[in-house]
Amino acid sequence: MTTIHIPDDALISVEKLQMHFPIKKGFLGREQGAVKAVDDVSFYIRKGETLGIVGESGSGKSTTARALLRAYEPTGGSIRFKDPDGAWHDLTHKSEAEMRKLRQHMQMIFQDPYASLNPRMTLLQLVSEPLVNIGVTNKSELEDRVADLLSKVGLRPENMSRYPHAFSGGQRQRIGIARALALNPTFIAADESVSALDVSIAAQTINLLQDLQEQMGLTYLFITHDLSMVEHISDRIGVMYAGRLVEVADTASFFEQPLHPYSEALLAAIPIPDPKRARAKKRGLVKGEVADPANLPAGCAFASRCPHASELCHMSNPELTETAGGRFVRCHHSADLKLQGANYDQ
Amino acid sequence: MQDETILEIKDLNICFEMREGTVNAVNGVNFSVKPGEVLGIVGESGSGKSLSARSIMNLLPRNATVTNGSVKFRKTDGEVIDILAEKRESRKMRELRGGHVGMIFQEPMTALSPVHSIGKQIMTTLSLHTDLSKKAQVERAADLLAMVQMPKPMEMLKKYPHQLSGGMRQRAMIAMALSCNPSLLLADEPTTALDVTTEAQILDLIMSLQDELNMAVIFITHNFGVVAEIADRVSVMYLGNAVETAAVDDIFYNPKHPYTRALLQSIPRLDGQKRHRLQTIEGMVPDPFNLPTGCVFHTRCAEKMAGKCTSQIPELTHFENDQMARCHLHQA
Repeated sequence: MTTIHIPDDALISVEKLQMHFPIKKGFLGREQGAVKAVDDVSFYIRKGETLGIVGESGSGKSTTARALLRAYEPTGGSIRFKDPDGAWHDLTHKSEAEMRKLRQHMQMIFQDPYASLNPRMTLLQLVSEPLVNIGVTNKSELEDRVADLLSKVGLRPENMSRYPHAFSGGQRQRIGIARALALNPTFIAADESVSALDVSIAAQTINLLQDLQEQMGLTYLFITHDLSMVEHISDRIGVMYAGRLVEVADTASFFEQPLHPYSEALLAAIPIPDPKRARAKKRGLVKGEVADPANLPAGCAFASRCPHASELCHMSNPELTETAGGRFVRCHHSADLKLQGANYDQ
Repeated sequence: MQDETILEIKDLNICFEMREGTVNAVNGVNFSVKPGEVLGIVGESGSGKSLSARSIMNLLPRNATVTNGSVKFRKTDGEVIDILAEKRESRKMRELRGGHVGMIFQEPMTALSPVHSIGKQIMTTLSLHTDLSKKAQVERAADLLAMVQMPKPMEMLKKYPHQLSGGMRQRAMIAMALSCNPSLLLADEPTTALDVTTEAQILDLIMSLQDELNMAVIFITHNFGVVAEIADRVSVMYLGNAVETAAVDDIFYNPKHPYTRALLQSIPRLDGQKRHRLQTIEGMVPDPFNLPTGCVFHTRCAEKMAGKCTSQIPELTHFENDQMARCHLHQA
């Protein structure tokens, strides 16, 4: 059993986080096993940095983010969060009332800007709702705060009496961001928050998030399936596969040389927006499909698709272990492998 | 229509009459496809790319009106069909759909029937377009599933769509689209809903089948990476206009239209260079009820010329190597 070393400037540390959803079957609803959506996930996020989490659908990235804010009750492990005064809180043992206070500091931005805003509330109501929740009731104070927040995210404060339907997808995403910023949080989890947007609008939103990070010293957990986006925005990257974190590394070294065979497969699969490089690319595509988190194999979940798998990989599940340069990898053979990164200039 | 083209869309205009006004969804789109060529159509949502593709099948929504233009398709026996002049349900159109033109969609779960097995669905297409015996149909269906690299094709015939994963469903849909050896395959965002590793597998499959069967493909996507990997020619659409059409290398290395250039700069690239900010395109896509006058892109264009771009609709300018762009910058 290895525990990860938490640096002093960490804001969040997650240890052996586990989120299992029971599968109930039959008339009596007997438990017939569990979907291991998140299993043994450990990582930390330093203050002011952006940790990008990539993975395919069903790999547990969104569940991790939601469990982090205690939108789900984790079934195991611990989540620790440092509040602005420097005190550590173990979120897994907090009551709902205590969590309510802490959530001022931790907020979330969602993927679908059409589903995440109440269509019957005006911008003023939407953005001021978090403030009202903590007891701000003075109307002019609320209006001032909302106007300030709206201009911060690039929306016109005059529009605060309008409803969400009057805004485009990109603008709605900005409303979601303004709402998340209302309580001056230190940490924001952005769950696929630009995936539903068109290319040119996504770029605007990413720039906005980066500007806000600089101005307010925000810490981000950025969840996406888009590796080029994650390379652009993240300081460090975590890769998830079938509910487990298989690799964590700083962005530059990850793209130069990944340590886990699944990371290599992901990098090889990204379509490159450059026809000459795309033609020159000889890619080794992984066969098969993602393992089912309701029915995980005994060994490494990637073993059945992995070109480097040995007997050991099918038998036992490797631990997430720290290697040189503060990188983490979950693979029996990572030390012997020389994997291919995103070779930039060929 | 030129001799060697298999499909030609000319000056196509499609509009919708709505209570709030008229939406001109497609405004004068031109493109043609040669046999065995892969044409990529890229554009943001609402640019009219799917609508243009559906006009090829004569399957426009009922409230859409074609105000101008033609869509012509050349069958392998040389007969040219004027698609928009045909009735939606005419014998010729039914023969064309599935027989000469195959189509695959973004969401296989909604495109496949949930209550028929994969085998049954492929065999229905075969019995409509061929006179194979029942036994021969089963064999052909299994061959098709083997061709799209489905494991155990004979067993797969009996499966229903809900029993398959997303990638497998997409493979089944490709098998169905290819069942009658179409000379043109329409692919409308077929990999958008898939994960990256599955997407790469499906793209590889489409490419190898295209090569093997020498069919033409129209591939609609919003992802420039996908276009770079599979297209021979690319058409870039913005607000119902094909603003630029060119060979894939010219689009990426020598784009003529400011919109193409701006789009290419706004995608994050894996190139190991840490850039502080992404380039963006100013503003947002205009409201389709009030299209800008003149060039539709002028409201967001960094190179707009006052007076000209705001009032005159640019003509199509032709360059070397069949490159075309609709922009005043290139007009004398």
